[in-house]
Amino acid sequence: MRTLLARLKERFALGPITEQRPDLAFVTVERETLRPLLRHLRDAEGFTHLVLLTAVDWIEEGLFQLTWLVHDRRRARDIGLRVMVARDAPVMDAVHDLWPTAATYQRELKEMFGIDFPGSPRIDEEFILEGWVDIPPYRRDFDTLKFSEETFEHRAGRGTTDPATHMREHLGIQGGSK
Amino acid sequence: MRDVLSPFLAWKNLFREPVSIADPLNREAAPRYRGFHKNDVSKCIGCGTCETICQNGAIDMVPVAGFEPKDGDSGLRPRIDYGRCCWCALCVDVCTTGSLTMSNAYKWIDADPDAFRFVPGVDAKSWDEAEDGYRRADGHHLTIRERVPMQELAPEVRVGGFDEIVAGYDVALAKLEADRCVSCGLCIAACPTHMSIPQYIEAVRDGDYRRGVRLLYETNPFSNTCGRVCTHVCETACALRNEGDPIAIRWLKRHIMDQVSQDEVREIIGAPAPATGRKIAIVGAGPAGLTAAFDLAKAGHAVTVFEAAEKPGGMLRYGIPEYRLPYDMLDRDIDAITSLGVEIRSDCRVGRDVAMAELHEGHDAVVLAIGLHVGRSLRMPGSEHPQVRKAVDLLRSIGEGMSFDVPRTAVVIGGGNVAMDIARSLARLQKLTHGEVKVTVTTRKEPGHIVADPEEVRECGEEGVVIAYARGPQRLVIEEDGRLTGLLTWRIVPKIDDKGRSATICDEGDAVVHPADMVVEATGQAADVGLLGEALTEELAWNRDRLAVDADGRTSLPWLWAVGDCINGPDVVHAVADGHRTAAAIERAFAETSIERTRPDARR
Repeated sequence: MRTLLARLKERFALGPITEQRPDLAFVTVERETLRPLLRHLRDAEGFTHLVLLTAVDWIEEGLFQLTWLVHDRRRARDIGLRVMVARDAPVMDAVHDLWPTAATYQRELKEMFGIDFPGSPRIDEEFILEGWVDIPPYRRDFDTLKFSEETFEHRAGRGTTDPATHMREHLGIQGGSK
Repeated sequence: MRDVLSPFLAWKNLFREPVSIADPLNREAAPRYRGFHKNDVSKCIGCGTCETICQNGAIDMVPVAGFEPKDGDSGLRPRIDYGRCCWCALCVDVCTTGSLTMSNAYKWIDADPDAFRFVPGVDAKSWDEAEDGYRRADGHHLTIRERVPMQELAPEVRVGGFDEIVAGYDVALAKLEADRCVSCGLCIAACPTHMSIPQYIEAVRDGDYRRGVRLLYETNPFSNTCGRVCTHVCETACALRNEGDPIAIRWLKRHIMDQVSQDEVREIIGAPAPATGRKIAIVGAGPAGLTAAFDLAKAGHAVTVFEAAEKPGGMLRYGIPEYRLPYDMLDRDIDAITSLGVEIRSDCRVGRDVAMAELHEGHDAVVLAIGLHVGRSLRMPGSEHPQVRKAVDLLRSIGEGMSFDVPRTAVVIGGGNVAMDIARSLARLQKLTHGEVKVTVTTRKEPGHIVADPEEVRECGEEGVVIAYARGPQRLVIEEDGRLTGLLTWRIVPKIDDKGRSATICDEGDAVVHPADMVVEATGQAADVGLLGEALTEELAWNRDRLAVDADGRTSLPWLWAVGDCINGPDVVHAVADGHRTAAAIERAFAETSIERTRPDARR
C-alpha cells in the first residue's frame, strides 16, 4: 500500500492520506483529480471493482464528503477516494462511464442528499422515495422526528408520561420548582 | 401536480397479488437481526431515554402494574408502537441500563393493528426468551460513561493547610460534563429539596448561567454550599450510574454559582414581596433556619434570626472544615439571604440573652433550628480526662480560629463524616505544627461498611490518616502521672446469634493500644434544648429526646416550629428541604388566621 501511495503521489496531487489498515487507505483529492485518478487505479493498478459511493454531511463545515471505495481483487486491498463538495453547490462529476453501477449510487445520492451528478442516467427520477416533498432526508438538517410527527398520525390510544412528573405525583412530592 | 396524482397512482397496485404472506419456509432470521423488542423490566429504570431518541415517535413511557416509582426508578416502562417503529435500534443503543434489546423475531401476523403496540417484557410474547437478536455490542455506548475529571490539590499539598481541595470545572469542562446528562429527571425525586437538576444542567450546556442561578434559588438558597458539601443523593439516582459514572451534579451546581457575581445573584433573587406585617423569630442561623428565613422574608414577612455564635452558618461554619467549604463561599450564600432584609442577631443566645417567652410575645411564629451541637460521649472508663475531646467542640474551636495544643498523636473514634472531618483537620494542624501526620481513626465497621462517604475515606488515607477497622473502644490508657497515652480497643467479630440475627462481639484476645495524647470522640451529637426552659420543656410533646413535630415541622404548640438537624439528623440538603417545608407551612397557617389571632402582643 505504501509503495502504491508513493507511486500515486508522483502522478497526482493527493491531499491528506489515512492508512486505516495495511489493506485499506483513504485519500482526499480535489474534484478535478478524481476521475483521472479513478481511471488510473482501474486500468493501471488493478482496482477493478467499485465497492460503493457514499456521502457524509459535515453540516458544521458546510461540506459533503463523497467517498468512492474501489477494490483490488488480486491483492485484496481497498482504496477510498474522498472529495469534499460545497453543501450550498452540491454538484459532482459522474463516473458511470467508468463503472455502470455508479449510476445507481449517483441516483441514490441525488435523492437522499440532493447531490447532483449531471449526465447520470435517470438522475432526476424517483429512486425509493415516492412523492417526496421535503428536503433530502439524509441531510442532517432534516428533522426525522418532526417529519414523522407531521406525516404519520398516531393511532388512538397513544399517550406518554414524563418520568419526573410521574414520580412527583406518585411520591407525593410537594415544593421543589414549579 | 405529483401531489395530486400520487394517490391515484397507488390504484395500479389494486389487482396485484398481496406481498405480505405467511412465510411458507419459516425461515429463521440472522442471529443479529433487529426484530421485536425485549425489555428486562427488572433492570429497566424507566428513564425514557429510548423515547427521547426515537426518531419516529414510536415509544410511550407508561405506568405498569407492579412497578411503583422509587429512588432511581420512575416505575414507567416503554411501550412501542410497531406501526411507527423503523427498527433502527437507536433505543437499544442508547438504553442507560442495557435492559432494552431486540429479539430476531420478525414474523407476526395479526388482524388487529392495536396488537402491534405493547410493552416489551410486560406483555408476554413468544420471543421473550429468544437468545438471538440485536443487542448493543460490548464496549459500544452512545452516552459518555466517564465523568469529566475534577482538578484537585495533591494530597501532599492539601495536608499542609486548609485550602479548598476541589478546583471546580471551568466552562469548557462543565459543558462536557453537562453534555453527558440524558435529562431523564430521575434525580429530582431523590433530591430532598427536589432541585430542577436537568433544567440547571441544561443551563450549563447553554452557557446561560443567570437562568441557572434562578433555577437554583427556586429550591436552594445554599447552592454555593451544597455545590461543595452536599451528600448528593441525586447522583445515586442518576440513570448513568448504571453503566458508568453518574453525572457530577454537585460540581455542576457549584460551577453555576462560580460563574455569576454576587451582585448579579442578589439582582436575580430580586426584592421581597410587600411587607405583610407578620413577624417571625428563628432560633439558629444554620441552613435550616436561614432557608426558612429566606422563603419567609421573600414573602414579605419580617424575619429575625437569633444566633448564639459569633457568626451565622451553624454547622456549615463550625462543623465543616474550610478545605471542603471555604468560609467566603458560605458568606456569599448568607449575604444573598440577608439581602432580602433578614436580620441576623449574632452572639445572641436564646435562653441567656433573650428568653423564649419574649420571642413568643413579639412574633407570629417562632422556628427552632438549633442543630446538633452537643457531642455525645461513649462514657468509657477515663473519658472524663481533659485530653478526651468531642469532635464538634474541636471543629468549632477550629472554625472560631481558636488555638489549642495540637497533639502529636491523635486517635479519633467514629466512622462517619464528622470523624473524617476532625481527623483530616487534625492531620493538617499536625503537619503545620509538628511537620508530620499521626492520626488514627478507629471504627467498629469492617472496610467497605463505614458510614462516611467513600471519597472522604479515600482522601483521608491519601493524607496519611490511618483507619483501624473493626475496633471496639474499651477504655482510655492513662499513666500514673495522669498523662493520657492511648486508647485500648478490642477486635469486633461479626456473629450470627441463636435466632439467626446478626450481631457483633468483642474479641478480648485481640487487644490493641492505639498511642494518643488526644482522643476525639466523633460518636454522635445531640441538640442543646436547654434554651427552652423548664416550663416550655414540660409543655411540649417529645419523641424520646427530640421534639415531637408533625410532617410540616410544627410542634405541639401552634406558634412553635422546629426544623433541621435537631429534628431529622445531620445533613445540609435535608436541612434546606426542611426549611422550605416549614416556611410553606407557616405561610399556610398565616393564611388561615388573621394577625390579631396569632401574635400575643397584637391581642392587647
